[in-house]
Amino acid sequence: MPPRTGERERCVTGIDGLDTILYGGIPRDNTVLLTGSCGTGKTSLALEFLIHGAVAGENSLFISVTENSEKLLANIIPYKFFDRDLIKSGKLVFVDLPAMYERLGMTKAEMTMEEIDLLVAAIGNLAKELGVRRLVMDSITSVCYKLKTPEKIRDFILKLSKTLSDLNCTSVLVSEIAAQSSAYSTFGVEEAISDGIVLMANLERRGDLLRTLQVIKMRGTMHSRAKYVLDLTPMGVLLVPLLKGGSSAT
Amino acid sequence: MTDTRTAGNVARQLNELMPGSAVSLQMSVDSYLDVMRGTLDMYAGKRDMDTIYVTATISFEAIKRIMAALDIDTSRVYFVDCISHIMMGTEAAQKDERASLVESPTMLENIMLKVEYLMRRSQSKEKLVVIDSINSLAIHNNNWILSEFLHILVSGLRAKEAYTIILSVEEHSTPEIASMVNLVCDSGIRAAKEE
Repeated sequence: MPPRTGERERCVTGIDGLDTILYGGIPRDNTVLLTGSCGTGKTSLALEFLIHGAVAGENSLFISVTENSEKLLANIIPYKFFDRDLIKSGKLVFVDLPAMYERLGMTKAEMTMEEIDLLVAAIGNLAKELGVRRLVMDSITSVCYKLKTPEKIRDFILKLSKTLSDLNCTSVLVSEIAAQSSAYSTFGVEEAISDGIVLMANLERRGDLLRTLQVIKMRGTMHSRAKYVLDLTPMGVLLVPLLKGGSSAT
Repeated sequence: MTDTRTAGNVARQLNELMPGSAVSLQMSVDSYLDVMRGTLDMYAGKRDMDTIYVTATISFEAIKRIMAALDIDTSRVYFVDCISHIMMGTEAAQKDERASLVESPTMLENIMLKVEYLMRRSQSKEKLVVIDSINSLAIHNNNWILSEFLHILVSGLRAKEAYTIILSVEEHSTPEIASMVNLVCDSGIRAAKEE
């Protein structure tokens, strides 16, 4: 869907349903918080966003914080559109953040303000060097555990967001929350400073467990705020509207 | 085994449909096999179209056995099976590439998602979606949510120019079910054995 005059250029996610919800895609250079509890499909959706980007010729970077990228790739859904040559050709790059911590000498449990600057600069340099247009960090929550205070978390996300935006990079920060949480992030800071929030959840209805997706906010575009049900398939993430007849039932 | 005149009548009426049409196919219990022959063999089979068969009445395995007994080619039939899981009999479906399981007939959104997935996977120019049957879905769902489901599903299929057939069994039908089906369908076919 091409942007209308005066509208911001879009980063087409390649996930049809999501692009429709966002009236054409994520506004370019936005930093989006992709949040949800475990098993809701966050990593799969984030990976698909990167793969579609790489297929479309945009260099894409996955920064893995919690899971070794080899293990991540071993468990990847056998997407019809995924070709391992994307990795070989450098279009799709995986980096493990723990290795980066080690290289930067960040071995302590808590980062200092200087180390935050160092980490943001290192990620920025890597993104610049690789010419990255799409970036995923999975998960930002794990990084936040090393930052400890809301001030440091705020500082880190703001600096990272600005650095990536200045590089014309659209980024998705994966955030983990508890299953019954009413907040959109663990520390309550991440959600306030992101350009967009996409909430993924499990909805129980009469004993059935449905995976849902809802765009809570997205700066720079109109968007649907309705809840959708999703399925993770080899053709990618598919979305359909949640039927309202059952939305109040538990 | 089947009444070829009834099956032929069903196929003839289906052949008159425009792309993107949704049709209500009412049948008596004893016409079920004729409807299968008319729909899957004499209509979809002859036109080389992929069929997505949503089964909420009996398991896909049972349907496949029926089709085999009728000598109907099932190589282009893909199943969305809403029954095997609740019967704890998923082994065959998990092994069959042409079967997609939905955990329960109450998970209507997941039925739509599986249909969408199979639509995307299909290489065939023309596609047919069969819902077997609205009466079975009505056992597990209230009319409001079922009506909403039909509306969204049929509208989506219509936009993709796929043909939709909604089967209903006369003996188990109610005015509410008939009204909900009529609302989304362009036409109706009644399959009954000829005297």
